[in-house]
Amino acid sequence: MQTHLTINGTQRRLDLDPRTTLLDALRHHLGLTGSKKGCDHGQCGACTVMVNGRRINACLTLACMHDGDEVTTIEGIGQPDDLSPLQQAFVSEDGFQCGYCTPGQICSATAMLQEISDGWPSHVTSDLAGEAELTSDEISERMSGNLCRCSAYPNIVQAIHKAAGKNA
Amino acid sequence: MTVSKPLPHDAAPLHVTGAARYVDDIPTPANCLHLAFGLSEIAAGRITSLDLDPVRAAPGVVAVYAASDLPGPCDCSPSNHDEPLLSDGSIHYLGQPVFLVAATSHLAARQAARLAKISYDAAPAILTIEAALAADSRFEEGPRVWTKGDVAAEMATAPHRLSGSIEIGGQEHFYLEGQASLALPQENGDIVVHSSTQHPTEIQHKVAEALNLPMHAVRCEIRRMGGGFGGKESQGNALAIATSVVAHATGRPAKMRYDRDDDMTITGKRHDFRIDYEVGHDADGRLLAVDFTQFTRCGWAMDLSLPVADRAMLHAENAYLIPAVRITSHRLRTNTQSATAYRGFGGPQGMLGMERVMDHLARSLGRDPVEIRRLNYYRPAEAVAPVASNASSTTSLDGVDPSDQDLTSRGATPERTAGSARRFGGAHSPKSRMGAENTTPYGMEVTDFLLHEMTDALLVSSDYAHRVNKVAEWNAANSILKRGIAFSPVKFGISFTLTHLNQAGALVHVYQDGSVHLNHGGTEMGQGLFQKVAQVAASRFGIDPAQVRITATDTGKVPNTSATAASSGSDLNGMAAQAACDTIRGRMADCLAGLYQARPDQVLFEAGMVRMPGHEMTFAEAAATVYAQRVSLSATGFYKTPGLDWDRIAGRGRPFFYFAYGAAVTEVVIDTLTGENRILRADLLHDAGSSLNPALDIGQIEGGYVQGAGWLTTEELVWDGKGRLRTHAPSTYKIPACSDRPDVFNVALWDAPNRAETVYRSKAVGEPPFMLGISAFLALSHAASACGPHYPDLVAPATAENILAAVNRARG
Amino acid sequence: MKAPDFDYARPSSLQEALALLAAGEGGAQPLAGGQSLMPMLNFRISTPEMLVDLSGLPELRGLEQTPQGLRIGAMTRYCELEAFPDLAKIQPLVAAALPHIAHDAIRNRGTIGGSVALADPAAEMPAILLALGAVISLDGPNGPRDVAADDYFLGYYETACEPDELITSILLPKIEPGDSFGFHELVQRHGDYAMAGVAIRSSGIAPLAGLRIGFFGVADRALRVTALEDALNGTDGTDIAGALSHLSEIDFQGDTKITAETRAHYAGVALKRALKEMLT
Repeated sequence: MQTHLTINGTQRRLDLDPRTTLLDALRHHLGLTGSKKGCDHGQCGACTVMVNGRRINACLTLACMHDGDEVTTIEGIGQPDDLSPLQQAFVSEDGFQCGYCTPGQICSATAMLQEISDGWPSHVTSDLAGEAELTSDEISERMSGNLCRCSAYPNIVQAIHKAAGKNA
Repeated sequence: MTVSKPLPHDAAPLHVTGAARYVDDIPTPANCLHLAFGLSEIAAGRITSLDLDPVRAAPGVVAVYAASDLPGPCDCSPSNHDEPLLSDGSIHYLGQPVFLVAATSHLAARQAARLAKISYDAAPAILTIEAALAADSRFEEGPRVWTKGDVAAEMATAPHRLSGSIEIGGQEHFYLEGQASLALPQENGDIVVHSSTQHPTEIQHKVAEALNLPMHAVRCEIRRMGGGFGGKESQGNALAIATSVVAHATGRPAKMRYDRDDDMTITGKRHDFRIDYEVGHDADGRLLAVDFTQFTRCGWAMDLSLPVADRAMLHAENAYLIPAVRITSHRLRTNTQSATAYRGFGGPQGMLGMERVMDHLARSLGRDPVEIRRLNYYRPAEAVAPVASNASSTTSLDGVDPSDQDLTSRGATPERTAGSARRFGGAHSPKSRMGAENTTPYGMEVTDFLLHEMTDALLVSSDYAHRVNKVAEWNAANSILKRGIAFSPVKFGISFTLTHLNQAGALVHVYQDGSVHLNHGGTEMGQGLFQKVAQVAASRFGIDPAQVRITATDTGKVPNTSATAASSGSDLNGMAAQAACDTIRGRMADCLAGLYQARPDQVLFEAGMVRMPGHEMTFAEAAATVYAQRVSLSATGFYKTPGLDWDRIAGRGRPFFYFAYGAAVTEVVIDTLTGENRILRADLLHDAGSSLNPALDIGQIEGGYVQGAGWLTTEELVWDGKGRLRTHAPSTYKIPACSDRPDVFNVALWDAPNRAETVYRSKAVGEPPFMLGISAFLALSHAASACGPHYPDLVAPATAENILAAVNRARG
Repeated sequence: MKAPDFDYARPSSLQEALALLAAGEGGAQPLAGGQSLMPMLNFRISTPEMLVDLSGLPELRGLEQTPQGLRIGAMTRYCELEAFPDLAKIQPLVAAALPHIAHDAIRNRGTIGGSVALADPAAEMPAILLALGAVISLDGPNGPRDVAADDYFLGYYETACEPDELITSILLPKIEPGDSFGFHELVQRHGDYAMAGVAIRSSGIAPLAGLRIGFFGVADRALRVTALEDALNGTDGTDIAGALSHLSEIDFQGDTKITAETRAHYAGVALKRALKEMLT
């Protein structure tokens, strides 16, 4: 069936079997292999992309459910010669080892920084009405859907702090 | 010189933009077939009928293969020729591949694979260590036994005895990139395989064997893996062989990628163990005799289980000099996945057995476990004077300013000097063991033992003595939340114990524009090997690493390589690359010396320039000049580790080139109502020799620790009574997440040059830090001990439920 | 991707959706946010012939505070509920529980109606509805009807919603002055399904009165134990040892994470912790 998507600012028309997940559509039909397939069950976060500004697991949604949506993948966040501040921070802080989870981590963290600047409630403090502060605990909780088997977590948190321009 | 610089991974800008390609990211060639295995639904027995017609009739299916449709057995085993690609009719574990489907899409192949009608004659499955012992189901004719001294006599005369047992669970690799292979048919029947493998030569060899081709007809290439951890040393063979067989038979490209649940169901994991121990000791806690019995659950096929079990024996004494030791190792065959290599390769299990003994002994004597450990350490290396240039990385809850942690400073922040470290428990000087020999249970002299000094330094930097008291105060004041703190050391032997594997090759080209093409036999899986070797190459030529292009590992460029395993990657390949570079550099120096009337030894390569008396030019100019003189600018390099001599049957000799050391202090808190737990703080001090790249090494140490702690805490594999792995997804198998790293995490390098002649005197760092995670397990044991007078006998992994049980045992 | 064969439809009205479900004769599966259904499709636990995507139904949208309480359109996503103004004042129990439900990426897609329709025994939302005395509005071939949460959760992934019915909205009754709430779950890790958890509403705290305690992650479904509530009503909630004996009414289940015995113990711990937090 036909689906119209805006991917990284470009309108794309897909004619796909409706069972195709958004992740498979990106990887196999649009050649955007930056989003990775880690577990296919929404548990590892390697496939995290942003849809209409919100991070989601691309493996847990069908492409055809996103007719008219705006999708941002890792390829839309920056390029090797034009890195976003967060991408630069992942390089300078060594925020990865094997790199397989990295696109998902960066998509997730990009959206997370936006959530915090939008004033979403904290996940960590008991004061639910309170505004979230970017502590290491806050980052850990908000990034807990993105697994890194190499356990580069200390540097991932460091990179997010650096990109956010704040220290915990 | 670019070695020792904390440079980021070579492909960093590609990784952060999703442009770094893994096997499954290679654009799928037109006409590509996608493969899936049909798996057995029972753990043991025989297939009585196999009806694949419904599979063949499924949409998109192009070909279906049972064992009889293959060109031969297509053996996948790295060792024993006991792993046919597809079942020969006998079933050995639940999840064993029975048939192979080739279809026009991954989905179609997976769909079709479910349609087979298979009937079985099920046999009783041997699933546990106990069942295997009862059935005498094992590899090798009987247990392997190594001894040192007269264990029976020492045990009989020892004033005190202690015995116990620990169960140690396995571990799923959970490399985030699953197994994958893409085979491309070439002219003349040749095959090119892109495989996510740590061992391209093995892939080449097994594919050639399966297709009855000479090895020159098969080429394997791998640019990078999304994690390996040992799980891609032999477990990729099946996919590579399957894709190659199909590509060869159909003339079409063939690709295979395990979905995560298949990956976890089919592939081998870390061996689980039970270790029984009997200890004879004196009143002070000096070990007089230790008798270990290690039971290893190997799964259905041999795979790498013999060397894994050997390495468990080789680390059974960890860092302690024991006058009399016996180690008995049972390698048990069970109807489960064939357990395989996993970071540490049996060493962590063997080491945990020893550390359990030290913990048990200290608790039974009511002494600080560090004292007991130090009392039993090997003697120190003679006249060791470590260079006091420790690097540090501090990542704490509200820690140091990240902006101060840029890469150039991370590797060079002097934090402390070993010389100023205070000795803990100074009464027990290392001299107390001076009279004894200083050899391992397998007869290797320990000449580089660093743990006395490292322990001193770490106990000071982690404020151990003070915190032990604080923990005791906390535990006296709190009835529900109990804290625990533990120190544990690591002494890990470096070299493949199969001696002939300790060799490596490299291929270096210098082009006439001064750019350098580097290739070697090692594979990149995130450990930063490529960058380290590139730094070595750049240093030899005195150029910037950016001028060195690192290329995919390729059996057509460097042949007969060993697996990137046993932490050996940079030791072996760094030396091979150095040799190749030095050959070219020598030719360049000879040529330029002739042209400019200098001696070859006066030609210096530094800071991007080539200098000799009266002349200097850029490296690029030098390359162009030498090229014009018709001098070869291409060379191979080769290295083999010297001095190894090992008899694994007798358990005697020198299996290791050197030892890498580390030490950790971990503090935890547990909730005694539930067993919930958290790592509050970890302090790690690790010996990477003269680090080739402190940033990458610290990453390995942090990651190794967290993965090791994960193995011993949250990562639990559960099989049901029928042999089905129930934890085959990340929803049920819990690897550490961001919030599981220690709240306070202090990591430092013990930056002293390796006494062995390794590349730039660095040390291997892939596996050893994994075992620092043992300190987390011991801290949990300490916390459980605080609940009552009895030894808690904590089981690994220390899940919440197992901690709760340990708390109850402590209470009695 | 290994989801089984299926057709897909995105109706634009409730009537159209209900007609598709009716025509599917049980083979048609409503698709809300997909965060539980997609893994089940991938695990091949669920093999529907047709997916009926509910995202285009205006009747299932909407999130508003009414005189009766907070009415949540079935297709309201967790993230929308989280962002609802003054949620912590209007529905403190929901606000407290939301950050514990999976991860942000899941909450950005998952819907309240989807979770309630699926009725995963370890999910938080069903127990919250039990504690709050929520009302679930359904529509189907026989017309709309309301079902109290107490009558809704029937068994393992089994609810009062018929295969040809859809949840249209959920009403969380307005909280009363003096209402107190407690929530606690034991998880392997933040965001995981609970090993045991409770959601509590009480109309008073000294003494406890009108308690409604929803347990989750303990048995085949989210459930209340009224004998336990009765035993606690009228007490100050500090000594609950006697009341805990009523937990034996629950048929605790073991799984790969913990045994049934440990789960029973955890349910008691979760209750104690939630009460303690509520009372302090």
